[in-house]
Amino acid sequence: MSAVVSSPLGRNRILNVVRLQFINKVTYIWMPLLVLGASWVISILIFAMIPIDEPKFGGGAQAPLWALMAVGIQAMTLSFPFSQAMSLTRREFYLGTLAAASVTGVMLSTAFVLIGLLERATNGMGVNGYFAYLPAMWESGWLGAWFTYLVVTMFLFVIGFWAATIFKRWGTIAVTLVLSGIGLLLVGVVFLITRLEAWPATWTWLVETGPLGLAFWAVPFIALMALGSYLTLRRTVA
Amino acid sequence: MTAVIEVQGLTKRYKDTLALDAVSFAIEKDTIYGFLGRNGAGKTTAMSILTAQNFATSGSVRVFGEDPYENARVLSRVCFVRESQKYPDDATAKHALAAARLFFPHWDQQLADQLIDEFQLPLRTRIKKLSRGQLSAVGVIIGLASRAEITFFDEPYLGLDAVARQIFYDRLLADYAEHPRTILLSSHLIDEVANLVERVLVIDHGRIIMDETTEDALQKATNLVGPADAVDAFTRGREVIHRESLGRVSSVTFLGTLTAAERSEVSAAGLELAPVSLQQLIVRSTQHAGTSEQGAPAADLKEVAS
Repeated sequence: MSAVVSSPLGRNRILNVVRLQFINKVTYIWMPLLVLGASWVISILIFAMIPIDEPKFGGGAQAPLWALMAVGIQAMTLSFPFSQAMSLTRREFYLGTLAAASVTGVMLSTAFVLIGLLERATNGMGVNGYFAYLPAMWESGWLGAWFTYLVVTMFLFVIGFWAATIFKRWGTIAVTLVLSGIGLLLVGVVFLITRLEAWPATWTWLVETGPLGLAFWAVPFIALMALGSYLTLRRTVA
Repeated sequence: MTAVIEVQGLTKRYKDTLALDAVSFAIEKDTIYGFLGRNGAGKTTAMSILTAQNFATSGSVRVFGEDPYENARVLSRVCFVRESQKYPDDATAKHALAAARLFFPHWDQQLADQLIDEFQLPLRTRIKKLSRGQLSAVGVIIGLASRAEITFFDEPYLGLDAVARQIFYDRLLADYAEHPRTILLSSHLIDEVANLVERVLVIDHGRIIMDETTEDALQKATNLVGPADAVDAFTRGREVIHRESLGRVSSVTFLGTLTAAERSEVSAAGLELAPVSLQQLIVRSTQHAGTSEQGAPAADLKEVAS
């Protein structure tokens, strides 16, 4: 029995949580890829129908990002109770799940960049339409675009996971209150900017910072939210 | 004997109900416990807190001498099979068992394979499409094959037919004999598990009302079988907990034991002493708790024992 106690538990168990999450290949792999593929095809068809010669840009690439929010919700509601049955601590489950989401995020971002490179090489798939090769995102090259896409992916995953955890722990009213609170906070920020007559400065800052800069800004914010959702999970009952 | 679980003054209060009321008990190593009680008595709550899945309002829980909460060292040696376990959406039984193999260090794949065979569990069907019995089989297989040092089975037999339940009991006993460990089996089918459990821990209204060996518990009552009037003559004035009659033959269980003198009287009267049903004993003590002051049955049973 002592062999069991002294065996290296920690890291192995967290890695095994990643494997546990990937049992659900539909959620973590096929569904996000399918959404990405479908929105890509639909975008190309629409681009082809628009009879102008200038380059056309579409926002369809955001579709799989929202899918990641659903992934975050499912990771919590379906996998957490099972992880408890596997005698995992909440910390092990959380770190492993975050790692699993990162794998999905990396996969999606890579697919996004590959589509972008293909679009660049084929003049927008021959119809001069761009689904992934969006100028603002590719300002700093493919790596910048990849990083930006990854950050947004993780951002939405953490939001989905945290919302589901709040729901599990405190119920619907708590989720509604938190969302209303965030809404109020945003209105407050808008009010403040308006009151300070800071809109021109704000726009200038947003434009100058660009998507990649904003992505860097988002990293500490995501880390904070990830910490928040861990603290919520610590006392959540499956 | 060493205790693998020690519980002191454990209280769990939900909004308006007291699920556990300052409960204290210890669970001995390498013993099969029957954790018995009515629905809502607090069994699942207690097991959830012991495995750090739920949180105590107050009191202390020690598993292998440590607090189990967020403690991988402790939790990896424990397995809790819930009656209403949820599984990932797309998971098949194969997936669930593969996951269990990853996390339970003593996992025995051979035993798992044998059980899959015996329960005729379809491996490639999604768990949410399985029947209630097949769903229970997944949990039972995880619980047995994980061979955790402490295994909790919370009513693991729902939907299992009599044959499947017998397989479970047989495999549990056989594997326990080869690999002694601590097992807490919560069950409503008390007589079915009576031969299996070495100790009974009975909980009622959030309190422990019985904590002793099955043998000691059964000795608190006596069962007499014979002609109705002869049985009645002996049981008059005693606390009868169960009575069955078939024609002129009665079988009556009452609290208390017979003295040597009474025993010879019994055999002289042509009456027989039959084994007491654990179920009847426990049904009676938990019914009692429902109708009278809380705590009364425990005192009652102790009186009888002394």
